[in-house]
Amino acid sequence: MLSFLVFLSSGLFLGWSLGANDGANLFGTAVGTKMVKFRTAAIISSIFVTLGAVIAGSGTTETINKLGHINAIAGAFMVVFAAALTIYWMTKARISVSTSQAIVGAIIGWNIYSARPTDYSLLTTIAGTWIFCPILSAIFAIILYFFTKIVLKWCKISLIRQDCYIRIGLILAGAFAAYALGANNIANVMGVFTGSNMLNALPLPFGLSLSPTQVLFLIGGIAISVGIFTYSKATMNAVGRDIMQMSPTAAWIVVVAQSLVLFVFASPNLHNFLISHNLPAIPLVPVSSSQAVIGAVMGIGLLKGGNGINWKLIGRIIIGWVATPAIATLVCYISLFVLANVFNLTVYN
Amino acid sequence: MFKLKISLFSKTKSLEAKIDSFHDKIIDSATIFRKAVNTFFSSDDFDDLKKVSKQIKKVEHQADDLRREIENQLYAQNLLPNLQADILKLVESLDEINNHFDKVVYKFYIERPEIPENLKRNIIKLCNQVADSGEYMGIASRAFFKDLSAVRDYTHKVYLMEQESDETYNTIKKAIFKSDLPLANKLQLDSFINRITEIADIAEDCADELLIFTLKRDI
Repeated sequence: MLSFLVFLSSGLFLGWSLGANDGANLFGTAVGTKMVKFRTAAIISSIFVTLGAVIAGSGTTETINKLGHINAIAGAFMVVFAAALTIYWMTKARISVSTSQAIVGAIIGWNIYSARPTDYSLLTTIAGTWIFCPILSAIFAIILYFFTKIVLKWCKISLIRQDCYIRIGLILAGAFAAYALGANNIANVMGVFTGSNMLNALPLPFGLSLSPTQVLFLIGGIAISVGIFTYSKATMNAVGRDIMQMSPTAAWIVVVAQSLVLFVFASPNLHNFLISHNLPAIPLVPVSSSQAVIGAVMGIGLLKGGNGINWKLIGRIIIGWVATPAIATLVCYISLFVLANVFNLTVYN
Repeated sequence: MFKLKISLFSKTKSLEAKIDSFHDKIIDSATIFRKAVNTFFSSDDFDDLKKVSKQIKKVEHQADDLRREIENQLYAQNLLPNLQADILKLVESLDEINNHFDKVVYKFYIERPEIPENLKRNIIKLCNQVADSGEYMGIASRAFFKDLSAVRDYTHKVYLMEQESDETYNTIKKAIFKSDLPLANKLQLDSFINRITEIADIAEDCADELLIFTLKRDI
């Protein structure tokens, strides 16, 4: 049990880093435009990220486990650690990095090292969602932009009242985004540990209980929350000023578009609903919330005539789509080799 | 969340009411200004003008208080953070129009200029034009807060009134310096019409700013 908790440390570190970076996507625009205080943002994000992870984190975790069922705790530790190292290096190189891409690359590294086959059709589906994610986010943002503009024109809401509604809207959208982030991205942080989970179920009042996987997700959610509280303030203040100057209404559109994308790729209910109605199902895949935000911001930018679009940033994202998983695969393969041969640890069964 | 909603709505209502009252004061000032001009030209009893002058001074003080309260509330409660600077500028400019209405009425009351019969009609016309420009500016500014699509309609009227007041001003100026009045009277009347026309000029500058703020308000 103790060794399990020690090996879980890489997941906690990745969770902390996810909170520190992606926490800014939930309330960054709201805090950056001074519509919501950081403390309010951090408390709401933490509660809803954890709820999303515990309640709805299973869908994307299943996909991650289908790509590579990591069955040894030391292997799971190294997969997550390799992803964290990749994220650190890529961030230093100022290349847009996604936790999802790093973890998928690291899992492939484990598959190669343990000589397990990789499901390439699933990998193609996952990679497709990475490209589709910012595009879908841009589409959502454009639709929301038109809708909001019509509503504002039609309802003639006074400026002061609009400010009040936007504040409430930003808080609600931020909470929804946090829930969707928890549901979508917990698989990146804790997904690979489910195969070697040694935690027990946790009984709750009123006859409720958390399964061992949900307890694992709860710990991951807390790690993300710590990241949000300790390290996301500076990023929150910078987001919204970095890409283009944004009005609070546009900020709200960006957060809603982002949360819709994260939700669409994480909701088992929506997935099952589409299948039951013979419609093409949306894969449950962890996607990058940062890239969803960038997609939404650029969607609005395009609508306004292409002003404020950072083409360099798009270039860095495209490099990240290829470079992040490739580097993570390599780092994970080498690290597993060192762990197995130098430290004599079992990295797969 | 419920508490947050209640507090936000009460802050919103109170600021909305203050901004509304502030705009009322601009329109009141323009109306009292017209009344003051009529009183000056129609009555020989300067007590009547004194009363109107006091009335406009009172409105000007009330507008000043409202302006301070609006500015304090905007910053203290961090309302409309992205538009604070613009609103501050707008409110200050509108207050400037109000101050000028008051100053011109006071000038009429204190200086009691002797206006030749042939100039009276045009000076009344000029006063009405600048009063209209100030009033339309107040309405345009109210539209900025309540109905963005109407801003352009009213700023257009401000520009129109300013152009007309310029024409009237030139006609009066030419007439003053063509007349046989003593130079001191000519200069006094010139300073008078300059002061009056300034109101329309300030309203025009204010309309320019407002149109830029309107563009910035777009989502």
